[in-house]
Amino acid sequence: MSTTTAPLPASVSAPKVWGGGRSPFNVSYGKMMMWFFLLSDAFTFGALLISYGTTRFFSSVWPEANAVFYASPFFGDKNLPLVFVSLMTFILILSSVTMVLAVHAGHYNDKRGVVKWLLWTIIGGIAFLSCQAWEWTHLHAEGGWWGSFTDLSMPASAIQHFFGNYPGHVLTATNHAAAMQATHDFFNYFFTITGFHGCHVASGVCFNTMILINTVNGTYERRGHYEMVEKIGLYWHFVDLVWVFVFTCFYLL
Amino acid sequence: MNTQHQSHVDIDALYQGDQSKLYSGLMAEHHGADINSEGSKKQVKRIIKVTIFLTIITALEVVLGLWGHHVGVPRAVTSALFLIMTLLKAAYIVKVFMHLGDETRNMIVTILIPLTLFIWFIIAFLADGGFWLHMNHSSGIHYMLP
Repeated sequence: MSTTTAPLPASVSAPKVWGGGRSPFNVSYGKMMMWFFLLSDAFTFGALLISYGTTRFFSSVWPEANAVFYASPFFGDKNLPLVFVSLMTFILILSSVTMVLAVHAGHYNDKRGVVKWLLWTIIGGIAFLSCQAWEWTHLHAEGGWWGSFTDLSMPASAIQHFFGNYPGHVLTATNHAAAMQATHDFFNYFFTITGFHGCHVASGVCFNTMILINTVNGTYERRGHYEMVEKIGLYWHFVDLVWVFVFTCFYLL
Repeated sequence: MNTQHQSHVDIDALYQGDQSKLYSGLMAEHHGADINSEGSKKQVKRIIKVTIFLTIITALEVVLGLWGHHVGVPRAVTSALFLIMTLLKAAYIVKVFMHLGDETRNMIVTILIPLTLFIWFIIAFLADGGFWLHMNHSSGIHYMLP
């Protein structure tokens, strides 16, 4: 340590990054804590998806996504694999875009813009939840639920359609028990993970509604900044991010 | 407030009142710029570009999912492609939509380093699952339903 250097007057020296007074990360406490919360949430979702992967790895047979998720509303039993979930994914991506536009409007103190884009984001979130409600209802009607498919006296033909009717996917007496177990595990994980994600979307819609009310009331205008929109925006994008991984793990892989 | 002669005293006052004013939006970055300004429009263009990019990747994933399955592309190939596209989408969402790309280097590193735990997490658990399957096959013992 040098003792000969005289300290510069505070008004002359540029503030040191770690010298106190300012955040070295150039973010406020609240925003950084939102990032750390999302980091912890990423590990929660990660743990769920990885345990899903582990179960899938030790199963000799596994339901085929294209055969499980084939239906769309208004099309009856027509075979349209992936179409409906692609629509859901697209809706969530678009609501993420409208959210980032709300954050952008907030950066420029554009109250009208924030209100407009938050409204679209809320509509997107509700549309996504409605789609998910339809899909859950459909799969429930097909017999899937938490704890479903445990009855080994059920014939293989009853679950064959989840594995698709492709050569090499035909269930036999030897893999019947494993197929029943796999179907059971598949639906447990599906409802748990999409349900946990759906809870995040639902709470995100609530948060968005709260900041919309505050924006309309002029709370953030008086405060001089729209950082709350940024923080809720981070949460909302994270929910979209998780769906990107859920989409890949459940519908594509 | 005259920003050109902003001293430590002013910064401290702002910090104690509401630190978010220092770091958020208008005061921190845009210095009173309008929503219709050049810089604002540039940023909106960037957002739209990323939106189109994300849409195209999602469409490609769906096409690969349907067509690859139909034609019989090996599972390992489609899975690898899906994972690459997923990570690409995730990177763009975090970088542009969550503005992590605009944060300071220290902040970016602080957020990203803990995520490397996932490398161990995924390898360890999938290996465990694979080993379990191997044991079930070689020992002839099958796990039972409740």
